Amino acid sequence: MNKYRNSDKLATWLFLAPTLIYLGITALLPLLYSLYLSFFRMKLNLPNQVPRFIGLDNYARILSDKLLHTSTWNTLLFTVVSVSLEVVLGMMVAMVICSNKRWARNVTSILMIPMVMAPVAVGTLWRMMFDSTTGIINYLLSFVGIPGINWLSDPTMAMVSVIFVNVWQLTPWVTIICAAGLKALPGDCMQAALVDGATPGYIFRKIVLPLMKPVLVIVLMIRFIDGFKVFDTVYVMTNGGPGTATEMLPNYIYKQGLRFFDAGYAASLAIVFVLLMSVLSMGFLKWRKSEEEKVW
Amino acid sequence: MVTEKRRKPRDYTSVEAILSAFAGRPFKYIMITLSLLLVLFPLYWLTTSAFKLPQEYLAYPPVIVPSALTTESFTEIFTRDRVLTYFGNSMIISIVTTALTTLFGSMAAYAVVRGPLGKRARSIFGIWFLVQKMYPAIATAIPVYLVMRTLGLMDTQMALIIMNTSFNLPLVIWLMMGFFEQTPYSLEESAMLDGCGFMGRFFRIILPMTKPGLIASAILTFNATWNEFLFAVILSIKRSKTLPVVIAGFITDRGLAWGPMAATALVTLIPVIILTWIVQKDFVNGLAMGAVKG
Repeated sequence: MNKYRNSDKLATWLFLAPTLIYLGITALLPLLYSLYLSFFRMKLNLPNQVPRFIGLDNYARILSDKLLHTSTWNTLLFTVVSVSLEVVLGMMVAMVICSNKRWARNVTSILMIPMVMAPVAVGTLWRMMFDSTTGIINYLLSFVGIPGINWLSDPTMAMVSVIFVNVWQLTPWVTIICAAGLKALPGDCMQAALVDGATPGYIFRKIVLPLMKPVLVIVLMIRFIDGFKVFDTVYVMTNGGPGTATEMLPNYIYKQGLRFFDAGYAASLAIVFVLLMSVLSMGFLKWRKSEEEKVW
Repeated sequence: MVTEKRRKPRDYTSVEAILSAFAGRPFKYIMITLSLLLVLFPLYWLTTSAFKLPQEYLAYPPVIVPSALTTESFTEIFTRDRVLTYFGNSMIISIVTTALTTLFGSMAAYAVVRGPLGKRARSIFGIWFLVQKMYPAIATAIPVYLVMRTLGLMDTQMALIIMNTSFNLPLVIWLMMGFFEQTPYSLEESAMLDGCGFMGRFFRIILPMTKPGLIASAILTFNATWNEFLFAVILSIKRSKTLPVVIAGFITDRGLAWGPMAATALVTLIPVIILTWIVQKDFVNGLAMGAVKG
């Protein structure tokens, strides 16, 4: 078989080449360019402006940027609250629809609609429904005696709304993954526990949860990392407002770069953001690995 | 007893059996009804708003059951807002991106899984693609904007195809690696003995076997590209706008035009729902696989 080895080697690299070249040019180079820009002062709106080298000034500015600290805190709050809700609710719904029967497939078909909807469309739809004067939500709430709530113009409620919309759109994703995981669980030990008179709560805590833990860790990881990248829904629902109540990191970087045209500062923010995300992903990967080793 | 057991196929899952053995019933029905209601009501609202008369989509108290249905909003978006052009943009960009990503992604995945690479090279590529999948798109937004401006690619479909392919490649590679790892290597060995080269094995033996994987990759890429907003809004001005950019435009430019906005959102939503439903099984499998893999 050795005579095939050389041609295989060539073919392997030929197969990899398009992707490697492609990702090199469209992903790695821009990232390096970001790193380079982050040491310069560069305004995009001034014509013929030559980038001026300013060393670490952009990074120093990060440390004292109050609005950035607010955005970071908001992003963290948004992510932690929405991901927790999504995982708990998603798992609960998954428990009741993890069936191979026809009705479960049909329910899944409907539940998956929010997930495939464009986040921009989801954001505008809810913005319409949350509208404080003509919105349907306040109207429905008035029947149960709740007076009109300024969903998107009150700082606290704006954050609640943005979280709510994220939960509405992405709980189905958690549900589908968890249902797939639940379906694959071995039935015998649960049956045995049942025969021995274990309560469902006990079975859930002692059998279902431990067996589902690797799946839940991955779901948590993917949702957490995606939560940090939230942009579209915030952009159309509040654009960071009112004031800075729902300003999140991606939106803030976007504004610095493409609204205020401060390319150098935006680049340094992007670099810090990437570093933060890398640390986060590495932490999660380590955790996941240790979970996998425990199970297998 | 044995035949009794055999006649009962595994048409229920173990968790389902446990739940139904206890007083899970009311809980189950309440949960399902509630979640269906929560999903369907906003969609009902979107659909009816798109077909309502202008005085009804702006009315207070809101009109829950419209008194008459009209396609006025649709006529408006297709004539005044030229939504058909943008629909075409979205379609071309998504289809080309999907084709490129699925082809290059599965080739790269096959090379990593079955190519004669060292163990270290294999794991380096694996980690690279995984990290690439996680890192935030916003990080490259400014440099990409500058480069596209310099190259004169601003406001072209090409620019969006290039960027969307870049975002989706790592995901497809990871997904396809999972599918390729599940194919039996012995098949390839016997093909090798018959003198079948690397390319032949990939295109003639492995790809036909992993069709569900290819479908899952294609649908995930298509949906992601169809719905992509960040780069679409940065890199398009007028000609290459996609549907999400048009929808967002309603908020900033038109204020309370709920009817046309809902109509555009509906036009954006329908193709992906239909596509996803057609390949639902592969879509769900792909999601689960992608999650389990990384």
